[in-house]
Amino acid sequence: MSRQLTFLMCSPRGDKSASHSIGSYLVSLFEEKGIVVKTFGAYRTLKNQEKTEEMIKSVNDSDIILISSPLYIDQAPYMTIKLMDIISEAFQQGKLSNKTRHLFAISNAGFLEYYHNNITLKIYEQFAKQNDIIWAGGLPIGAAGTYAQYPIPEFLKMLEQLPEEDPRNEIYTKPTKILDSVIRSSVNHLSKGEIVPRDELKKLEFIPMPLESYVNGANNGWPQAAEEFGAKDKLRDKPYER
Amino acid sequence: MSYVILNGMYKDDSFIPRINQMVSDEFQRNNYVGDTVILHDEEIKPCLGCFKCWVQTPGICIIDDYGREVAKKMIQSDVLVYITPINYGGYSAELKKAIDRSLGLISPFFRVYENEIHHEMRYDEYPNLVVIGTLDKPNSDQEEIFTELVQRNVLNLFCPKYSSQVIYTDDDEATIKKKLKNSLMEVGEENE
Ligand SMILES: Cc1cc2nc3c(=O)[nH]c(=O)nc-3n(C[C@H](O)[C@H](O)[C@H](O)COP(=O)(O)O)c2cc1C
Repeated sequence: MSRQLTFLMCSPRGDKSASHSIGSYLVSLFEEKGIVVKTFGAYRTLKNQEKTEEMIKSVNDSDIILISSPLYIDQAPYMTIKLMDIISEAFQQGKLSNKTRHLFAISNAGFLEYYHNNITLKIYEQFAKQNDIIWAGGLPIGAAGTYAQYPIPEFLKMLEQLPEEDPRNEIYTKPTKILDSVIRSSVNHLSKGEIVPRDELKKLEFIPMPLESYVNGANNGWPQAAEEFGAKDKLRDKPYER
Repeated sequence: MSYVILNGMYKDDSFIPRINQMVSDEFQRNNYVGDTVILHDEEIKPCLGCFKCWVQTPGICIIDDYGREVAKKMIQSDVLVYITPINYGGYSAELKKAIDRSLGLISPFFRVYENEIHHEMRYDEYPNLVVIGTLDKPNSDQEEIFTELVQRNVLNLFCPKYSSQVIYTDDDEATIKKKLKNSLMEVGEENE
């Protein structure tokens, strides 16, 4: 019998999101290994009772649960937590058979540093523990917006075109290659029913550029984004000031 | 001085209402004015992650529902209190729904603060934060995560002072009172 995976895609931004982009990349690699994947978007799953039940059934049948979620204010967003609560409730009500299941999580942060994701990954681990699911580890991804814009395989192809001495190799090519290799290795382990070794995940624990460069880059973007709405000069408004 | 309590209990919780009442009594005893929002009673839609509270209507969420009111109450209080069952070490879904919607309280602009990337302040003043989590029994892993989470929230919400407290459902009345009093004292809101 084929192994099964339930993919919980937890960003409200749908296919414009990093959670979708990175999560789907893992899904494609799992499918190459013959694993059958069922995908559930958090937003639709929570809106529709039938979908919720389908998700529970899929979790029940699955060997692997994959969560890909944004980081909102140091934790997963409401929708991710709600999905976890629904799974926990099903577990408490005896609706989940006692087969071996692994949980793997991808946490996508806007800030550059990977470690903003550490707490939420620990929360996922506790969720797994509470529901007799084996915690297989997680990917702490910083500056995840990059991958919302450029899916990893396409991005790597684009980056191949850069001349060797181009400074963007240090900021983008190197980190993306490391991420790609950790993802591939994670999929290999998980497909074999193994957890992902801590040493493998630790390879993501680096900061690819000076913090100031990232801050300046991001800060230049906000006025541009606000221009479209005529709000360029209102970015620092204080509408609720006492 | 003012307070607001964001009560993130789930509907069937019979313990948190007691805690909520004790916290409100304590504030009133110290002549604070404020109120409690029982979050599950309010119509609050989830954050859409659109960043329009930063770039379209800066400071105000694009979704026009009670979530806006909660964000306003948060920034206009001197003491902000979260009460939540500890959920895998984190907050309840109910509480998290309201907190996600408060993103507009901070500025979109990034800065380096304490050697990490954080945001700039939107307002000149932010409330002190008291976070009270409940658990059926001690759980050192989850308590550690919870404490760390509150510390991270404080960094991101610029709270000048904060306190986090874990209360067990079988704590006796005197212990609960003491814990709550300590929490309020830590943020300097309790008279001796
Ligand atoms: C309400 C809200 C809160 C956020 N809080 C954080 C945060 O605490 N730390 C962080 O690094 N990024 C934070 N972000 C940025 C997101 O994590 C980032 O945009 C991420 O790429 C979103 O993932 P997605 O593209 O899959 O939706 C926040 C975004 C939103 C909308």
